[in-house]
Amino acid sequence: MGSALGALRNALRSLTAHELGGPLVALALLVAVSSALSPKFLEPYNQRILLLQTAPLALLALGESMVILMGSIDLSPGSTMALAGTVSAAVFTIYGLPLHAALAVGVLVGIAVGAVNGLLVTKARIPSFVATLASLVAGRGLVLVVTEGRPIVGLSPYRVFTGDVAGLPLMVWIFVAFGALNYAVLRKTSIGLLTYAIGGNEEAVRYSGVRVDVVKLINFSIAGGYYAIAGLMMNARLEVAYPWTGWGYELDAIASCVLGGIMLSGGVGSPLGPVLGAYMLTLLTNVLILLGVNPYLQWVVKGFVLVAAAVALTRGVRYAK
Amino acid sequence: MSSGVVLRTRGIVKEFPGVVALKGVDFELKRAEIHAIVGQNGAGKSTFVKILSGVYTPTRGEIYVGERRARIRNVRDAKRLGITLVHQEATLAPNLSIAENMALAVYGMRGVILGRLRKAELLDLAKRHLERVKLRTDPRTKLGDLGVGERQLVQVARALAENADVICLDEPTSPLTTAEVGVLFEVMEELRKEGRSMIFITHRVEEVFRIADRVTVLRDGIKVFTSPVSETSPSEVVKHMLGRELDEFYPRRKIAEERTPAPPRLRVVSLTTASEGKGVDLRDVSFDLYPGEVLGVVGLLGSGKTELGKALVGMQRVVSGEIYVDGRRVRIESPADALRLGILYIPEDRRQEGLVLQLTVSDNVILPSVYRASALRLFRRTRYERSVAEKWIESLRIVPPRPDFKTSNLSGGNQQKVVLAKSLEAGVRVLVLDEPTFGIDVGAKVEIRRLIAGLADQGYSVVLLTSDVDEALTLSDRILVLVSGRVAGVLDNRGLSRERIIGMLGGRSG
Repeated sequence: MGSALGALRNALRSLTAHELGGPLVALALLVAVSSALSPKFLEPYNQRILLLQTAPLALLALGESMVILMGSIDLSPGSTMALAGTVSAAVFTIYGLPLHAALAVGVLVGIAVGAVNGLLVTKARIPSFVATLASLVAGRGLVLVVTEGRPIVGLSPYRVFTGDVAGLPLMVWIFVAFGALNYAVLRKTSIGLLTYAIGGNEEAVRYSGVRVDVVKLINFSIAGGYYAIAGLMMNARLEVAYPWTGWGYELDAIASCVLGGIMLSGGVGSPLGPVLGAYMLTLLTNVLILLGVNPYLQWVVKGFVLVAAAVALTRGVRYAK
Repeated sequence: MSSGVVLRTRGIVKEFPGVVALKGVDFELKRAEIHAIVGQNGAGKSTFVKILSGVYTPTRGEIYVGERRARIRNVRDAKRLGITLVHQEATLAPNLSIAENMALAVYGMRGVILGRLRKAELLDLAKRHLERVKLRTDPRTKLGDLGVGERQLVQVARALAENADVICLDEPTSPLTTAEVGVLFEVMEELRKEGRSMIFITHRVEEVFRIADRVTVLRDGIKVFTSPVSETSPSEVVKHMLGRELDEFYPRRKIAEERTPAPPRLRVVSLTTASEGKGVDLRDVSFDLYPGEVLGVVGLLGSGKTELGKALVGMQRVVSGEIYVDGRRVRIESPADALRLGILYIPEDRRQEGLVLQLTVSDNVILPSVYRASALRLFRRTRYERSVAEKWIESLRIVPPRPDFKTSNLSGGNQQKVVLAKSLEAGVRVLVLDEPTFGIDVGAKVEIRRLIAGLADQGYSVVLLTSDVDEALTLSDRILVLVSGRVAGVLDNRGLSRERIIGMLGGRSG
C-alpha cells in the first residue's frame, strides 16, 4: 500500500518535472470531467467542432509563445489576424486576385506587422508591451479603414480550409502541421536555442556575441505570420471577413500559453504547450455551452481556470527544482 | 552571568536543494564579546548568521539563548530573543527617510495601523539612536541619498533601536572606505562596553586582529578553528581559511624573461567613455596587449575595471579614443562586433550576465557559435554539439561530466568553466575576464587560475580584471593599475612588489 503510494508519488514527480507534465494532467482532468458531465462531449461531431474551433487559436498561441519564450509579450495577435484576414479578403474579392495569391498576401501582411513590432522593440527600444499595444490599436484601425467598418462577403472559395482531408478538416491538419513545425523550429534550430536563451538570460546571450536583435526581429515576424494564418482560417470558417474578428483574442492567446505551461518570464515551456493550451481553452468554452451555462459566466470560469493554471505552474516549477 | 555565554549552537546543519551549506556547526558567543567569523566565499558564514537571526530555519541542530533552548522560526522570533542581523546588502527602503525606516523595524505594521507613530516622537527616537552610531545626519533624509557607509551605520542604529543584545554583522566592512571602517569599529567598541555581543563576519583577516576578541573559521560549512585572537596569528587564520598554504593558493605562472618581439594584438589609445551616471567614466585609458600575454588590470571597487571590460566589447558609450586589432583601426559597437574580431568579455556576474541558467552545459557552450555549428546556420546538429561539449568538459574538467546537466545546478567554479568553454569554442583570441575567481570556492579558484595561465601559454591574450593583487601578481606579464577611471601606471611584472601596487591603488604614485 505504502509502496504503491510511493510509486504514484514518484510517477507524479517525474510528470511534474517534465515541461508538458502539468498541462497533460490538466488536459486529462478536463476531458474526464467534461465527458462525465456531458455525454455529448466525446461524440465525434462535437470533437470535430472543437478541433475546428481550436485551429485559429492554436496558431495565435504558437505565435504568442515564440514571443513569450523570449521574455517579451505580444498584444497584437487579435488585430494582426483581423488585418491579414480582411486584407486578404479585400484583394480576393475587390481586386480579384487568385485564392493562393490572396492567401500569400494575407500571410505577408501578418509578417509585416510582426516585423514592425520587432523593429519597435529592437530599434526604437520600446518595451514589447507598449510596442505591441500600439500595434493592437493601430492594427484594428487599419482593419476598419480597409473594410470601412463593414464585413467583406463572398469568401466561399476559402472553404477549402474547412473541407475534409483524410477524415478531418484541412484546417485541423494545418494546425497539427504548424504545431510540429514549431516544435522543430524551437528544438532543432539555432533560432530555437537562441529563443530559449534570450528568454532565460538576454544579457548573457548579448555578451556571448550573438545579435539578439536579429533573433527578436525574426521571432516577432514568425509570430505575425502565424497570426495571419489564424486570420485566414477565420475567413474560411465564417466565409465572411468581419472587421471585429479577433477582438480580445490576444488575451486568449496569452491564456493558451499559460495553460500550456509557458512561463511568462520567458525561457521555460514546451513548444507543444501552446497547442495543448489552446485546445483546453476551447474545450472549456465548448463544455460550458454543452452544459448550457450562462455565457457571461463562462468568462468568470475561464478566469478561475487561468489562476489555477498559473498557481499550478509556479508550484510545479518549484517541485521540479 | 556577566561573562556568561549569551548564545550557543549545537550541530547546526542547513541543507539547500543540491548543497549542504552548514555541516554541523557548534558555536558560542559570550557577553560583551566581538566574535569574528571568517571564511572563503561559500564557507557558510552568511547562512549561519541568517539562521541565528531567523531568516533561514536550520535543517537540524539546536540554538540556546542564555541557558534556554530557543526556537527561531522567523525574524520576529529572533528579534524577540534580542538577536538581529545587519545585512550584507542594506535591506532598507531607499525611498523612505531614516526615521521611517527605523520606525518600520521597531513597530512594524502595528504602529502604522494603530496610527501610534507621532512624527516628533519618531524623529526623536531616530536622532537618539543615530547619535549612538555617530551619525549627525538629519533623520528626515531619504535613505537613498546616503552613502553606503552611512546606510550600514543606520542599520546598526536600527538594531540598537530594537534593543538587540546580539548583533550579527554580515560583512559590514566590504563596501566601506577605510575611514568609514574606523567609525564602525568605534561604534562596535562602544557597544561592547555596554555589554552587547556581536558576531562580525568579514573576509579581511587584518580586521579580525583589529577589533575581535575571538575568531572562528568556517570552511565548506564546517567549523575548523576557534581561538581567542590573542592566541593566534593572521597566517594561522589564513591557513585555516584556505585549508592550505598561501603559495598553493596562487599558482604562479612562469613569465618569459624576454618577450619575443611581436606587434600588439590589441591596442587601445586614449579611450574615454561616458557611463551616464551608471558607473565610472574612463579617462584616456591606453594600453597594448600582446599575443600570449596576460595583462592584469588591478583596481578597487569604482575604479572602472568593469567599465573598461565592457567598453572593449561595445557595451559602454565611447566618447573618444581608438581601438586597433592587429594594427587595424576597428569600430566595436556590440559584443557581436567584438566577437567577430576575436574579443570576448566574460562578466563578473556569471549568474546574471554569463550563463543562461535554465539551459544545459551543452547548450551554453554552443550558444555563441550556434550559427556556425548548425547546418546552413539553422539546423542544429545535436551529435556534433554533444561532442563539442564533451571535448570541453574533458579538457576543463567540468564536474559532473554531463553535457545535458543544467548549469543552474553547477557549482560556481564549474559555471565559470562553462563560460570559459563557450568563449574558447567561439574562437576568441582576446579574453577579457572580469573577476574570474570571484565567489567560487577555494579549490576552483586555483583551478581557474591554472587555466588562465595555460591559456596565455597557448597564445591567447588575456585581460585579467581583478581586485585581488596577488592574483594579478602571480598570473600577469604586466599590470595596469586603474584608479577612478584613469591609468595610474602600467608596470612590468618582473620584480614588481605587492606594496608598490597597493601604494598606487591608494593614490600614491609608485
